[in-house]
Amino acid sequence: MYNTLIRNILRFIGLLFAQVFVFDNIRLGNYIHPYVYVLFVMLLPFETPKWRLLLESFLMGISVDIFNGTPGLNAAATVFMAFMRPYVIGITSRKSDIEDKNEPSVSEMGLKWFLVYALLLLVLHNMVLFLLEAFSINLLGLAMLEVLSSVPVSLLAIILIIYCFKPMKK
Amino acid sequence: MYNLFIFIKKYSAVILFILLETLCVVMIVHSLPYQNRKMVNMSNDIAGGMYKTTSNWKDYFNLRSENEILAQYNALLMSKLANESADTDSVISSEKFVFIPAHVINNSLNEINNYIVIDKGRTDGIEPGMGVICDKGVVGKVINVSNNFASVMSLLNSYSVVSCRFLDNQYVANVVWDNKDFRYGMVKDIPSHLIINKGDTLVTSGFSNSYPADIIIGTVESNEKNSEDMFSTARLRFATNFSTLRYVYVVKNNFKAEMDSLCITH
Repeated sequence: MYNTLIRNILRFIGLLFAQVFVFDNIRLGNYIHPYVYVLFVMLLPFETPKWRLLLESFLMGISVDIFNGTPGLNAAATVFMAFMRPYVIGITSRKSDIEDKNEPSVSEMGLKWFLVYALLLLVLHNMVLFLLEAFSINLLGLAMLEVLSSVPVSLLAIILIIYCFKPMKK
Repeated sequence: MYNLFIFIKKYSAVILFILLETLCVVMIVHSLPYQNRKMVNMSNDIAGGMYKTTSNWKDYFNLRSENEILAQYNALLMSKLANESADTDSVISSEKFVFIPAHVINNSLNEINNYIVIDKGRTDGIEPGMGVICDKGVVGKVINVSNNFASVMSLLNSYSVVSCRFLDNQYVANVVWDNKDFRYGMVKDIPSHLIINKGDTLVTSGFSNSYPADIIIGTVESNEKNSEDMFSTARLRFATNFSTLRYVYVVKNNFKAEMDSLCITH
């Protein structure tokens, strides 16, 4: 119990700092913006109650917002993503698959499943984020372009982070 | 009543979701006009302090090139000083603009509205509305100030409009950003009879009280003439390289209050 809590707090701080001090400084062209902090929401345990899922993702989003000076923007996208998470888990896996599993990670669910799961959540997150950022229908095309170019880079970054911190086989 | 509790319990997640999203959207909408960035102001001193620490580390990687730029600028200033040394007394007594050097500690390029955070604030005499320039050209305008930090709306912002002037024929126009590339902006409201050539230099008009006149904004990259319109637009290459911005100067206009008092208020 405490183990999970401490791990989640460390994950929260680590991913927040990685996002604002490393990944926000990476500039690959004008439309690509990798978001890795969403990994925190992706990796929350399966049995986390919905209200905690929403509140924790709100906290994560608003923390990123404070550093970026965009109040509510990342928080709105992250809360939306957290709200959709149970449905994404529902359509990508059967109930019997996740019964004895702890958290939706690569080591527990396999890389193939995690890729699909992370891709769907990233698309949802990025869509809300870029649409809210553009805030007008004129820039819809630009927002879509940003989604299409940012999602693969974010996904790659997330997979790299996971493999960097992969625990040794016991 | 009991049914109401059942309903709330059943849909508590959905209700919480709607509440949180509403809160977020209210915050976003509230922050849209750039003057209302209160939350940024509140968190500026916390986030600003942390950005300053990372910026201190990053600076070591650029020391050599930064030295070169400063030396070049120093040489330029020395040559200017040499030319004006004849009537030094009169220059100091009628000083209209004062330049406060500041250090960029955070900078964004990829958003639709980009902001810069600098390490000088209210205690250094910085106020909202002051212009910010660098050795190459115009950078933006101060919009929010905390005690030790200030946020600057750079030219790369959908709310940014700068009054400009063609250096060779004195015509006045406006510079905005095209929301796409941090190297290019747009010159709008050019009278359509004006012939624009590639490489024409645009400078500040000096009408806005924020910037001194004749600070370079950029050069014309290409002409986008629209025959039906009364005004034409042109693509502009910014003189300032926003991606390598480190040292800037905040422009303090000593006569701003006096000049503003002449404006007619309704």
